[in-house]
Amino acid sequence: MKSPSIRHALLFRCGGGVGVLLCFLSVLVYLLVRHSLHREIDKAIRQTAEMLANQVELENYKVTFEWQEGLASSDAMVLEGLFQIWDEQTGETTRAPALRSGDLPKFDGGNSKPDVRDIHLPNGDRGRALGLRIHPFALPEEMERMRISGKVIDPKSLSYTSVVARDIEPMQRTMEHLRYMLASGTLLTLALGFTLINRVIRSSLKPIGELKRQMDDRAEHQLDARLNVPGELPVELAGLAENFDALLSRVAALRERERDFLRHAAHELRTPIAGLRATTELALSQDRTTGEYREHLTVCQITAMELGELIQRLSALARIGQAASPVVMEPVDVGPVVMECTARFQQLRRERGLEFKMEFPHEPLTASAEGTLLRIILNNLLDNAVSYATPGGTIRIHGGFCDGQVEIRISNPTPKFPDPLDRLFEPLFRHEPSRSDAGGHLGIGLTLSLEAARATNATLLARRTDEGCIEFVLKLERGFHIS
Amino acid sequence: MRLLIIEDNALLRDAVAQYMREAGFIVDTVTTGDEGLWAASENPYDVILLDLMLPKVDGMEILRHLRKKENPVYIIVISARDALEDRLEALDSGADDYLVKPFPLSEALARVRALLRRSYGKKSSVIKVADLLMDPVRRTIRRGERTISLTALEFRLLEYFLYRAGEVVSRTDVWERVFEDRSGGNSNIVDVYIGYLRKKLNAGGESDLIQTRRGQGYILEESTP
Repeated sequence: MKSPSIRHALLFRCGGGVGVLLCFLSVLVYLLVRHSLHREIDKAIRQTAEMLANQVELENYKVTFEWQEGLASSDAMVLEGLFQIWDEQTGETTRAPALRSGDLPKFDGGNSKPDVRDIHLPNGDRGRALGLRIHPFALPEEMERMRISGKVIDPKSLSYTSVVARDIEPMQRTMEHLRYMLASGTLLTLALGFTLINRVIRSSLKPIGELKRQMDDRAEHQLDARLNVPGELPVELAGLAENFDALLSRVAALRERERDFLRHAAHELRTPIAGLRATTELALSQDRTTGEYREHLTVCQITAMELGELIQRLSALARIGQAASPVVMEPVDVGPVVMECTARFQQLRRERGLEFKMEFPHEPLTASAEGTLLRIILNNLLDNAVSYATPGGTIRIHGGFCDGQVEIRISNPTPKFPDPLDRLFEPLFRHEPSRSDAGGHLGIGLTLSLEAARATNATLLARRTDEGCIEFVLKLERGFHIS
Repeated sequence: MRLLIIEDNALLRDAVAQYMREAGFIVDTVTTGDEGLWAASENPYDVILLDLMLPKVDGMEILRHLRKKENPVYIIVISARDALEDRLEALDSGADDYLVKPFPLSEALARVRALLRRSYGKKSSVIKVADLLMDPVRRTIRRGERTISLTALEFRLLEYFLYRAGEVVSRTDVWERVFEDRSGGNSNIVDVYIGYLRKKLNAGGESDLIQTRRGQGYILEESTP
């Protein structure tokens, strides 16, 4: 599926919007101009029609058209005007001189109301005309005279239809010209607008292209390197790039951690493998007795078991918190679990002349935890304490509630503190760089504990006490038994 | 020839030590860095196999300390660290060779032998003085057409004399480099073993290659008629 393009979307949306706006404005301008011109023409026609209507007079029992007197005086309105009057009684018609023998269309609005419409003039031009039913007017003196003579003619009984027109052909041509100009202008503006918008969009999107190029040009080993964000990057993209960089930093840290872990793990595996290889090579370097072979094979077996344990712990470390094995939290009374775990280390404690001092409340210490992971944490913390405590010292194990959480503290005296203390949680970290300290510890226990704590929303930290002890503080979410 | 192995991993240390012993070397082993530093400073070793990650004193510290004291012992670093920086750092600090774990014992042995040859200015792996020919790799000795069979101690003794052919070797040197168990006195035992060696080398009626220098020691060289 083809992905939508921001450039195309912006171009067509902006261009389309501008186009619609331009068309609308052009049509509006055209209509306004047309309406304005029509109004002016209609006004002029109406004035002419009114003037003509006022010049139809009943006088001496006959109707006269006073405008005809204007013929002699070369009145422009009379000579150039386009009008025609029909006598409704006789059907006779009187035309303006400009019409010559041509007729205007005859119409009116009825009930003495004017009607304005577009017409075709006798010469074929387009015109605008007003049709009106009119009656001659009679002066009061004329009416008085008719009454005295006893023969009164009601002017209302004499109907005439007057049609006054204007040649609007020039205006129509102007309007057509205007229409053409507006359409051309709109199209031209639209084309120029598209080009301009396209350029603006291209230049605005250039930083995106730059960022994309940086990502495309990356070698395999640079995938998590930070972006070289250009200084003039727009604020919207700068935020995105910064967030992306932050994500890359996290990925880089994760990869670095993985690399470290793999390097440490590989390093850790090398020495026992070297021993295994050396032992087998030694056994095979010459013919030996059955007893000698047995001795070498026993050594190999022990080493293989140690390697198996190391690999199991590494696998456990890798598995903790994975989605494939989701952690199910439940209320756990921590006190009995601590007791159960300490029991495992009683023999080593006695061998090293250590003492356990337990401080737990009487009420249940219920935490929200996962049983197996909690045991991993406690076993490793206790193993660490018993293995590294100064011989003859006291290991204090304290349980209680603190700030709404369940807190377990395990402290032991130690002659040596790593700097910083957090290094204790690094994979494969040991007080001594060698592999022989503390009875062959693998250096993963505390890392496992920390990962297990994180997987159960708990916190685990190491600190130095005033008494010269190292203390591990495990804080678990408080749990509640459903009764 | 005396080797010191400073390695905290018992499995590897014991296997290498036994392999080297079976190859005819006298081997001392220590587990921690401080013991290693003491042993290397107090005893004359031909080659030291030195691990870097050691308890108490780091291998790199031992290396630097020995070189600072101008100890001429040849040192092969054996380490699980395989990064180029680590190898460069060790070699630049005075190591003569660097072996990354895991390594074949045969390679370690070959490198020890190469350093020994370099130590005594020999190019060939076969050592020859007059008609006496020793192949330390195959562990064979011939004098002319005759094959000579020696015990491990006698072989070591002859190998040391051959490496130092033409030089006067004191009894103390011989005692320190060749004899594994040095709990008793030395002068008589050295003389006794040199007597055994002479008997086996000259069994065909050949001239005596090992000469006694009164008050100085012994010298192995082609006898002038």
